[in-house]
Amino acid sequence: MTGPRRPAARSWRTRFGWLALPLLALGIWQASTGLYLFGKAWLGQRLLDTAWDRAVAGDASPRPWPWADTWPVARLSAPGGQDGMVVLAGASGSTLAWAPGLLDGTGPVNAPGLSVISAHRDTHFRFLGGLEPGDALTVEAPGQTAQTYTVLTTEIVDHRTARLPDPADTPWLTLVTCYPLDAVVPGGPLRYVVHATPAGYGG
Amino acid sequence: MKQDAIWQRVEPASTSCFDRAAVRGALLILMGLAMVLACVTVPARPAAASEAEIPYAGMDDGGLFLPSETPGYVVPATTVDTGVVIDVSGLVARATVTQRFVNPTDAWVEGVYVFPLPETAAVDRLRMVIGDRTVEGEVQEREAAQHAYETAAAAGQQASLVSQERPNIFTNAVANIPPQGEITVEIAYQQTLAFDQGAFSLRFPSVVLPRYIPGNQPIAGEPGHGWSFNTTQVPDAERITPPVAAPASQPINPLQLTVNLNAGFPLASAYSPTHDLTITEHPDGRLTLALADSQAWTDRDFELVWEPAPRAAPSAGVFSERRDDGDYHLVLLMPPELAAAQASALPREVVFIIDTSGSMAGQSIVQAQEALTWALERLSPEERFNVIAFNSAAWRLFPAARPATADAVAEGQRFVRALNAARGTEMSLALDQALDGVADPARIRQVVFITDGSVGNEAALFSLIHDRLGDSRLFTVGIGSAPNSFFMREAAEIGRGSFTHIGSTDTVAERMSGLFTKLETPALTGIRMDWPDASAEAYPATIPDLYAGEPVVTTVRLPAGTTGPLSVTGMAGDQPWSAEASLAGASDAPGIAGLWARDRITELERRRYQGADPVETREQILEVALRHQIVSRYTSLVAIDDAVVRPPGAALDTQAVPTNMPEGVDMEMATADSYAPPPVPSGHAQLAPGANTLQPIDAIRAMAQSGAAAVGVQLPATATPAPLHLLIGATLLLMAVLFAADRHWAVRLRTGRPRR
Repeated sequence: MTGPRRPAARSWRTRFGWLALPLLALGIWQASTGLYLFGKAWLGQRLLDTAWDRAVAGDASPRPWPWADTWPVARLSAPGGQDGMVVLAGASGSTLAWAPGLLDGTGPVNAPGLSVISAHRDTHFRFLGGLEPGDALTVEAPGQTAQTYTVLTTEIVDHRTARLPDPADTPWLTLVTCYPLDAVVPGGPLRYVVHATPAGYGG
Repeated sequence: MKQDAIWQRVEPASTSCFDRAAVRGALLILMGLAMVLACVTVPARPAAASEAEIPYAGMDDGGLFLPSETPGYVVPATTVDTGVVIDVSGLVARATVTQRFVNPTDAWVEGVYVFPLPETAAVDRLRMVIGDRTVEGEVQEREAAQHAYETAAAAGQQASLVSQERPNIFTNAVANIPPQGEITVEIAYQQTLAFDQGAFSLRFPSVVLPRYIPGNQPIAGEPGHGWSFNTTQVPDAERITPPVAAPASQPINPLQLTVNLNAGFPLASAYSPTHDLTITEHPDGRLTLALADSQAWTDRDFELVWEPAPRAAPSAGVFSERRDDGDYHLVLLMPPELAAAQASALPREVVFIIDTSGSMAGQSIVQAQEALTWALERLSPEERFNVIAFNSAAWRLFPAARPATADAVAEGQRFVRALNAARGTEMSLALDQALDGVADPARIRQVVFITDGSVGNEAALFSLIHDRLGDSRLFTVGIGSAPNSFFMREAAEIGRGSFTHIGSTDTVAERMSGLFTKLETPALTGIRMDWPDASAEAYPATIPDLYAGEPVVTTVRLPAGTTGPLSVTGMAGDQPWSAEASLAGASDAPGIAGLWARDRITELERRRYQGADPVETREQILEVALRHQIVSRYTSLVAIDDAVVRPPGAALDTQAVPTNMPEGVDMEMATADSYAPPPVPSGHAQLAPGANTLQPIDAIRAMAQSGAAAVGVQLPATATPAPLHLLIGATLLLMAVLFAADRHWAVRLRTGRPRR
């Protein structure tokens, strides 16, 4: 520290002061990326309402936009969740960004057999943690009367070892999202699972 | 002055201001970099978290795979090849079970294999084979053995630990199997053979039928690697529920089995009701029997039956082993052939219990229905009967037992035909109703319990049977390809009846006919052994009542050198009978002491179900198990190699070895209809009101228990990085604000500084 103080103070400013601007830019980029994802999830439901109406009108695969590889298969209402949330076919990453997805390999809703619906824990299925056994869920399939389900149980499973029920002759609805529900960093093997059967069955 | 004072304070601060600001700036830059890095790297998953994992594409090479934590990757499963050699000599069998653990991964693996052994086995030897060397194991107290094993495993030494979870379920943990390598472990045991109705038989179980685990309150309990969690009712559920390979996949874990049969008398026949055999006859009359199928799997019990040639059947047999602390004898005595048993004057009441739980789905429920239909036809109108069916609930045919008229039997047949197997196995509901705890001298009451015994809470059920038995007698009928024989034997022992196995639909009529001979013939009661020395310690302590065709089998310790005759007396109806044998002509047989120790442990365990002090029982079991060096609930076998083989940097992956779903268990039937309330046929009394509505957790458990996996469904990852982006964004914006403020502050500092 042989030099005078003032030049030293000035050199700090010149050395680090410029950082405010790029940090601001990066911050805006990150925040908007996050907001974009939330926005997409919100916007998806708005866009899908029209597709749903076409589904109800009898269109077999009413794609919400011409190049979409998915279409609405059900509408789900639950306490704490958005009313009449549109559920899409398949649960690929691009589908889940817009709406909850009905897993390929599981049967249609409101028909005998297992239907698994999956959605992001931080968007559409944020309400899942608040569900309790006995709560009522309503599921509509295009062109059918709505079916009321009763939540049987909730559990936390490891997706690597999880076993799902395989009922043969009653509708069985399983809702899945990532666990822990409020973790910041995505990933991890745990899933939060809610099982429901048509009101009157099981419990 | 004030200004100056401020200046005075500010000036030195200004010096450090530069340093602190520089440090803060550097920190902020680092933080920012770390954040940006985190933002870029966190959403991307590691390529492969462990060396054990391989990409999906590698599955083309065949084998069994387990799901992995890393998307796109699977873990090849460690499997176990089993080779069994059983040497039968007279009344005793000695078996060596060779388990070859094969590690198909590129990682160092600890394999944990949960496997069954006969419930009467006295396991006394463990050898680990490494190349051309062998490492002998020794029996230690369970905790000490566990600690020694874990220490060696962590240090990189190869080690094996054999622990008993139930008298018929064991765990073999083998540590530090090299990448793409294998370790072979030999386990040896001694067992007494069964002799009943003129035939000897031997069972070797090879797979644990998935157990129903009652209770839905998860607790810490005994840690293990099973599919169930521990519950208040089964605190070691994790240790008795090995993972089951998906039924769609090829069977795994091959089995080779050979029996060297030296019966000691001319044979009329030797056959297996469960497997095809290749039989080689030796000039001295010994037989070597091997599985005919070169590709057999550990997916069901093996049973061997041999019958003496007419009039060659032994009426008595004594085998002895001389040890420092006394002479040990195994004694078999056939009661004298009695005059044709006169039908009892007392009215007989038979209550049938049929298990209709999920694990019975497939072949088992068919066998059970056939057995029960056969039994109902055999009843005569003077006898009274009832049928109780159960799974997660219990329900019965009639509110109370009815005479077996043609109409009543027909109604019973319809009831039985309508049964389906699904849901849980709440045995206590059925036992509670079938055993009324009443002693009524004006009747003979027999309970016939048809089940696969697939439950994890055996001890609680034994206590229930003991408490509620009254004057009823409990006869168990083991159903299916891999029944829980420990439950069958002990429930019948405590229920003062006997047990029968039905392994296939071919044997239903034969085995049920044997059982009915026992039910219809008065039992031999009040049996007493008279030993030549008063200090004799014999097990079982009380000889159970004998039913038609059953011999007295007992093990005894006598002071060294005791000779002389021994006799057994008892009553057949109101007629006394007796039989005699001599210790003088006893044949020497090593291992009798171990059998005696095992019988003593069985007796001590049984006293526990009857309310004995658990702490004292533990001490007694520990003492006899350590002295005779056999495995028990409190003692384990551990073998540790001295060499350290795993490099210090390499990790050890623990893998639970998957097992087969036992043959004949129908997955689809097991899972169908698993959640609807049990059908209660109209007009039939409902038991346990309220319990018929299936508890939700039971429904799911019942499905999990029967392996009901919706195959092919992968639960997707369902969290967006949106909150993370927001958090990073907010942090960066905050930092930007801090920098800007810092700069602003520095400017003010400079402008506010007095001129020199």
